[in-house]
Amino acid sequence: MSEQRHDDSELERVPTGVPGFDVILRGGLFAGGAYIVRGTPGTGKTILANQICFNHVHAGGRALYVTLLAEAHARMLQHIRRLRFFDPAAIPGSLYYVSAFRTLEEDGPRGLMDLLRREVQGHRATLLVLDGLLAIEEATASDQEFRKFVHELQAYAALEGCVVLLLTNGSRKEYHPEHTMVDGLVMLSDQPVGARSVRELEIRKFRGSGFLQGKHAFRITDDGIVIYPRLEALLARPSAEDACGEDRVTTGVPYLDDMLGGGLPCGTTTLVMGPSGGGKTTLGLHFVAEASAAEPALAFTFYETPNRLLMKARRVGLDLERRLRDRHLEIQWQPPTEQLLDELGNRLVESVRRGHIRRLFIDGIDGFRQAATDQRRITHFFAALSNEFRALGIHTCYTAEARSLIGPEIEAPTTGISVVAENMILLRFVELHSHLYRLLSIIKVRDSGFDSSLREFRITQRGIELANSFESAEAILSGFARLRPGHKQASAAPPPKRNRRRPG
Amino acid sequence: MRTVLVVDDEFGVAEVLESILTDAGYNVVSAINGRQGLARLSKARPDVVLLDFMMPLVNGPAMLRAMAADPAYRTIPVIMMSSLDEETVRRECDRFAAFLRKPFRASAVRDAVARVLDNNRGSDDVSDLS
Repeated sequence: MSEQRHDDSELERVPTGVPGFDVILRGGLFAGGAYIVRGTPGTGKTILANQICFNHVHAGGRALYVTLLAEAHARMLQHIRRLRFFDPAAIPGSLYYVSAFRTLEEDGPRGLMDLLRREVQGHRATLLVLDGLLAIEEATASDQEFRKFVHELQAYAALEGCVVLLLTNGSRKEYHPEHTMVDGLVMLSDQPVGARSVRELEIRKFRGSGFLQGKHAFRITDDGIVIYPRLEALLARPSAEDACGEDRVTTGVPYLDDMLGGGLPCGTTTLVMGPSGGGKTTLGLHFVAEASAAEPALAFTFYETPNRLLMKARRVGLDLERRLRDRHLEIQWQPPTEQLLDELGNRLVESVRRGHIRRLFIDGIDGFRQAATDQRRITHFFAALSNEFRALGIHTCYTAEARSLIGPEIEAPTTGISVVAENMILLRFVELHSHLYRLLSIIKVRDSGFDSSLREFRITQRGIELANSFESAEAILSGFARLRPGHKQASAAPPPKRNRRRPG
Repeated sequence: MRTVLVVDDEFGVAEVLESILTDAGYNVVSAINGRQGLARLSKARPDVVLLDFMMPLVNGPAMLRAMAADPAYRTIPVIMMSSLDEETVRRECDRFAAFLRKPFRASAVRDAVARVLDNNRGSDDVSDLS
């Protein structure tokens, strides 16, 4: 191997321990690397750096936190003390805090460099945080002197194998020569989006390794910073080969399985569209009620709490409690309030992987759209999710609310999922003789024929029951159907075999 | 006039302590770390030292040990200051007369200095007065 070659086998990774961050960095920072963390006040730089320090010392390292013109140590420790990563036992033995601004003032950058060298050696630090890089920039007489300081610190860090984090609020200049010198640049921001505010982390530069590009949302929680890697970047390629063959899986509604040609194709994405109250959730409950040890299920819901979902299932004769007790089913409720798209996506993927889920029911796909601050992402987001679930052999069923209750137009509610949905089922209301009836039709099934007829269905104490075809009704999709003379009203009964339509 | 030596690396803390104690009628000398603090002992001849626990180059415990090893300074009472709790600090060193947990109120500083100076009158043993 060439001595000039530098790859992961030569560079030691130093994990940050910050949830999501090491995934974005593909393993962590590099020992001996110098990294700038830039962000305006309040974006979370100090918490991020402290969290990395505590994680580092818990992993057996030693850290030194040096402040310049920054928050007083006492106040800073008071603030981070409430966060769960804080461990008072780590200070002062493994993690040490000093202030160096007065040294910078009295002895200049040269005096500061001497102090840093002595302290890193004295404390045998393997991680150094220098909080307040701007103060050094302001204390140096020229850009060249500032660059020399950064270069010398970087060279020293490389020699000692010590990771250096340089925290800065910004600069009075547009051009940042120090960015070209360091090994990495991490940007933190806090952007207003409508009435809310979204924190984001972006890696602009990271020498020695690939990383997940783009902006990644994060939260400051009681556990400290939690970063949610952008899902399209994280799942740019599925984690496995397509796991399914030609098998079919039941929807939990026998006649619907017949219409589908034996059930849903294994490992596909199904979109159930319909108006509010149209039976979408009930159909999904049938789907997850088929959960078993071989096919664990997850219901990922936005609008109905687990209790309400269980009550709804009970009313239609589905015993989900037993599936829960048997641990064949998990219900996760996401209140559709101030969610982050990637927080939802990462939570969903993590839950699916952890529970080895095979049946996934996502009730209320609009919950994802509402969480997205950039609607242009939605198509790619769902494509990434669907590809991954397909690779994991998961049968996914989404529900989406149609805007109109009754009417002639069918509108795909969410562009993103319509593109990736391999199977589509439409539920509609139809007005007939002053009564509302429910209709079900299949729009498409992946690589397969299906029964394209319209079917009335009812929701009874025994669940969804498909009735005779409404083929005889005129203008059924208009939502204003009239019976032709001589035809009787439809009734719940086993449907006749229909003509099969081949995929177009 | 009694003299107080304030040894603290943090910008702002030493300046504020200097103002508080000057207003209270003390002569105040300050140093930015333990090394500078030790260097200022001989000239300042302080009656009490306000000493920060975590500092660069020579930290609080190291300065305290250096003072204890020198007969000329071992009787000068020391008030240790830290954002860590007193128990943690005492695991590193315990020959200090009082302890101030940061962040503190101005009145706590004035009271501690006055109390330590009062207790130290005619005493050679300055440990554990807090």
